[in-house]
Amino acid sequence: MDFDGFERQVLPVKNKLYRFAFRLLGSSDEAKDIVQEVLIRVWNGREQLATIENVEAWCMRITKNLSLDRLRAKQRKPTDTLEQTSTIVEGSLTPYESAEISESMQRINLLIASLPEKQRQVMHLRDIEGYSYNEICEILELDMNQVKVNLFRARNAVREKFVKINAYGL
Amino acid sequence: MDSKEIEQLLEKYWTCETSLEEEKLLREYFNGNEVPQSLSDAASLFRYFESERARTSEEDIERAVTKEIRKRQRGKIISMVSVYRMARIAAGLLVVVVATYFVRQEVRKSYPPEIADTISDPKLALEETKKALMMISRGFGKAKQGAAKVNMLNEAEDKISNKDKEKKKDKIII
Repeated sequence: MDFDGFERQVLPVKNKLYRFAFRLLGSSDEAKDIVQEVLIRVWNGREQLATIENVEAWCMRITKNLSLDRLRAKQRKPTDTLEQTSTIVEGSLTPYESAEISESMQRINLLIASLPEKQRQVMHLRDIEGYSYNEICEILELDMNQVKVNLFRARNAVREKFVKINAYGL
Repeated sequence: MDSKEIEQLLEKYWTCETSLEEEKLLREYFNGNEVPQSLSDAASLFRYFESERARTSEEDIERAVTKEIRKRQRGKIISMVSVYRMARIAAGLLVVVVATYFVRQEVRKSYPPEIADTISDPKLALEETKKALMMISRGFGKAKQGAAKVNMLNEAEDKISNKDKEKKKDKIII
């Protein structure tokens, strides 16, 4: 693949990669770093691209793997306590970003951020990016059943929280 | 699409039975219509999804990546330059080796012919060869004379041992 092909086929996916990395890492700067690294890796491995059926899903999978590697590296740091790392996603919005999102949006943001990792990933890929179940299986390297179970749990967790908020104002 | 249909679709959505098209219908409904109070939670969720889909990085990642790729391509050119540098070093070494060879040749020429052992005239060479061969042949002659003496001794020893055997035989016959 030459640079024109790369520009046509791979670069337009950058925002989806960024959003996915942002969802996993909760930091805009780190998400940008990851996307750049993914794109450079894809460029370096461009000879393989001809054999890959779904380039976009492949890029998303690399994004997921690199983001999770980064998260694990952060968690290994002795200075980070468990509490700190678990609140990375919640507390990493800049004041500008926070102001932009209305209160209800922030509430939903926190709600999704509190979901287990797999559920968060599946919900993001399906409800925000609109991927098919097969594509999600490919990106997350899960079987269909696991994808559906995780999505079901994620949507129901969100729904239950809504019910609680409406009933008790929590 | 009325709110009842939407409610039915929403029920399917919560149980993960909606298709991508149906989910798109829900997104469009909640992002473009006045929504009844009963559906306000779902509406804010779908609006959240829509706003997240519009999220892009403020920084131009594409430009940064393109710059990096171009830099790497230039890096390849630089590596070609280093190949030329290597070639120059190799050429220098070749010159030194060739010069050493010629100097050695010159040194050989300056040696006296006796040491160098080279005779250009064929007649002279033949005479020299004959001399050498004669010397070897004389050596062989001397060696042959020495060997003849040893043979005489051997023959004498054989004769003595034969006589001893004959005497023993005569005794046995008697």
